[in-house]
Parts: sequence; structure tokens; C-alpha cells
Amino acid sequence: MNGNQSTFKDIPSDSGILKPQVTYVDDKENIEDFIGREVKLDKYENHSALVTYHPQIQYVPPLNFSLVEDQIYRSGFPMPINYPFLKQLGLKTIIYLGDLGHEKPKKEKKKEKEKSKDKDKEGKKKDKQNTVDTYNNYLEWISTTDITFHNLLIDSSQEPFNKPEEYRQAHESLTKALYIILNKNSFPILIHSNKGKHRTGLLVGLIRKILQGWCISGIFEEYEKFAMGKSEFDLEFIELWQPELWINDELKPDFVRI
Amino acid sequence: MAETVEDPLISHIYSKFGSNGTELKSDSGILSNQSLSTTNIDTSLNPNITYDTTDNINNQKLRRVSRPPTLRIIPPLNFCPVEKQLYRSGQPSIINQSFLQELNLKTIVWLANEEPNDDFLEFCQFNNINIEFVGIINEYYDHDNNNTPNHIAVNPWDSLNESTIKKALEIILNKENYPLLTCCGMGRHRTGTVIGCLRRLQGWNLASVSEEYRRFTGARGGRILVELLIESFDITSVDIDSTKAPDWLDI
Repeated sequence: MNGNQSTFKDIPSDSGILKPQVTYVDDKENIEDFIGREVKLDKYENHSALVTYHPQIQYVPPLNFSLVEDQIYRSGFPMPINYPFLKQLGLKTIIYLGDLGHEKPKKEKKKEKEKSKDKDKEGKKKDKQNTVDTYNNYLEWISTTDITFHNLLIDSSQEPFNKPEEYRQAHESLTKALYIILNKNSFPILIHSNKGKHRTGLLVGLIRKILQGWCISGIFEEYEKFAMGKSEFDLEFIELWQPELWINDELKPDFVRI
Repeated sequence: MAETVEDPLISHIYSKFGSNGTELKSDSGILSNQSLSTTNIDTSLNPNITYDTTDNINNQKLRRVSRPPTLRIIPPLNFCPVEKQLYRSGQPSIINQSFLQELNLKTIVWLANEEPNDDFLEFCQFNNINIEFVGIINEYYDHDNNNTPNHIAVNPWDSLNESTIKKALEIILNKENYPLLTCCGMGRHRTGTVIGCLRRLQGWNLASVSEEYRRFTGARGGRILVELLIESFDITSVDIDSTKAPDWLDI
């Protein structure tokens, strides 16, 4: 510990986030210790000087983060490095579109094992364990906040129209997501998937079309910005799918035009 | 551990209506956008709007919707919300006017080197939108020749200079100007520069700032000079009036 410490009174900054700090200096001689640390001098009440230095505030937004509308955000899977950023958004709801947290039936797991070679199997296993840990850490973080978490299962779209079971699931999840968005009491909302490209882009595209009445080409332009080339069958889905919704006008957010 | 919480309204609607109308017609191989309502509501008069009078959940009046809004709106090129009531885009054209009207804009920060087209100027005048011309730097005053304006060639693809960025940011950081749209010709580089510097002021890390900038630059990708400009811009040079700063700015 430094001897000078006793003459400084630090105002504690929020844990995890670097904020501009203000340090009061009682003894003018100690100011020299701050040389090279972006020091601004000022006179301040009882103290002989006020030293402020500004360590850069570093917020790291999640991958593919963006605003969709006021109080609606989109992104990829949030990692611990992003938590301070998410905290300052003051989120009330998170919608996760993806397959983590939904265990596959045993049969399919066996099939997968049989298919993959021994070497691949070990690599995959390890990788899978990491993802599960990431997901669990994330859930733990959410439980320390007041955020309502909706985990809505959508398998990544691989084949277009020949998996009715998966599509039924996707329809259900997307309809639920639209209902959450139609209730402004759940705002601010973060919509995220694993990479913030396809499944998130799909839901945002549906919001744009069904609730806001954007033209399809404008929706595709926005989708493409995040998906960067690969689009699978999401664009067709956005264009063709229309659920039946029951809207409560009292809870409807302002950007909804229907 | 966090638990998934079900919204009672949503689960009620689900138990009542299921996901009908959202079914996939697997045999035909085509996604159906037909609505097959199981409730006996007469939809013949207006298929788009039906009030569910039979069962109001907690006295909530529900309106049935099975179509997108009839009037489609067209966002301008590279349009995106940046923060609350702050937007970015390329130069809007006539077809974007009904879209822009929804935003109730008060100010437009024009960053391109050229004047916007006449339709756009007319639209702004008609809607009482104040345009701030920040990016037009195509004349200088010749001090040797009676201070007469002297046009010099400035390329439209030249980057903004630091004083222009500072000026743009000071307009953006005054909430009295909101709702505000920042735009240039294509909504790529000049808009990207200013928004990038704004993100740095917000304390974003540089990698995320670049990721956002590149998202809007199209197939040719980002320009290293723009990214350098964002990186080297002195954010402490921007004068912010804390009484007028938008709420999302952490100062």
C-alpha cells in the first residue's frame, strides 16, 4: 500500500464499469503523483485541490448490437464482457431465440455420436460443454438482475419446407415474441440469438413487416446488414408468413402502425 | 438460476387460440398466410379488424389482426435508429416521405458536400424541419483578393474534418434538436464518421465502433481513413451542455 493513500478520498465507482473518477487531494504536494494521468486541477471547498482524471469509459456492446426502435435492442449472445453495457440499458425483458437450454432427446444424441468420428466427437463434446457453461453463466447473471428472460426455441433454419415439426415450433416462438413486443410494459427489450444474425434478423424483419408495415425490400436491406451474405430461408419466411394476432391497443407501443 | 417467466396474457391467448393461423401446410410445401380462426367471429365485413367481444381477459379489449398495415412505408437507404429519437440514413427521396413523417423530425444534420435535392428541401420546408448544413465545405475566402469567396475543388468522397465532426456532434448532443436525422448522400462514410465519434463519446470500445461503421459501408467495405479519423478524434474537444445533453449520454 502506498503512503499517500491516506490523503486521498476516493469516491467509489460502480463495480465493473470504469467511470470518470473524482479524487480529492488534501495535500497539494501529492498532486505530482498524478502527473501523466490526465489531471485537471480545480479549487474545491475544503480541499486544496480537486483532481479529476478520466480513465476511458469502456463499454463493450454485444456482437451485432443495434437499436431496432426506441427501447428495443438486438444483438448476439451476451458475454460477461458485455454485462456492464447491458446494465446501463436498464433492460426489463430479454428474448432469446435459439436452441441453448433446450436439451435434445436422447435418441438424437446417440445418432450424432454414431455419425461423428472419434476425434471429432471429443472436440465437439468439449465445445458443447463450453457453450453450456456460457449459457449457464448468462442465466446466473440474469438472475442477479430484474430482467424477465424468455427462452424461445427456434432451430437454426437449414432446410426450407420439409420439417413441419420445427416450423411449428418456430411459428409458436415467433408469435410469442411478437406478443411480448406488443406489450409496452415489457420495454426496454433486448432480442438476441447466438450471433445476432439470422434468428434475430428474422424476428426484426417480422416486426418491420407485420407491425410497422415496412416495404419488403427495406426489410431485406436491414436483414442483410447483419447477416452479411448468408440468409438461408429467412427472407422467404419474412415475406410469406403472417400470424393471426390479437392486439390490445392500450398496451401497444407507439411504433406499431397496425 | 433464472427461470423463464410466462406472461399470463400470452399463455391465455395460447390456450385459447393455439397457434392456428400460423400453421404450416406441409403437404403443399408452401407456407400458408391464411388465417383459420376457430372462434366463431364473423369476419366477412372487415377481415382485417375484428373485436373479440366474447372473452376479454382482465377487461382487455383485443383486436384481431391478420394482415400487415395496408400502407407500406419505405425506409431511406441505410436507415437505422441510433439512439432514442436519433436516426441515421442516406439521402431520402420522394418515396421515403411517408416513412419520414412517422418520425416527426425536428432537425436534419446534412453531412454531404453537395446540396440535397430540391424535393427533399421542399419536404423539409413543408414539414418545418430545420436542416443544418454541416458538411458543405466548398468555398474559402481569399484574403489577398478582398475576401471574395473562391470556390475550390473539394471531392465528395473527401473525409470530414475535425471541426465539422465537432460541429455535427454539438448539434446531435443537444436534445432540443430532437427528433433528429443524421444523413449524407449514401449514409455510409460521413454519417458513419459522426456516429462513430458519438459512440466513442458514449464510451464504446473501438472494435464495436468499427463493426457498426462497417455494417453501413456496403460491399466495398470500410475506409481505413474513416476509421483512423474516428480513432484519433479528440472527444474532449466537444463542448457538451449537460443541461441539454440527451438522457442516454452518460456524462
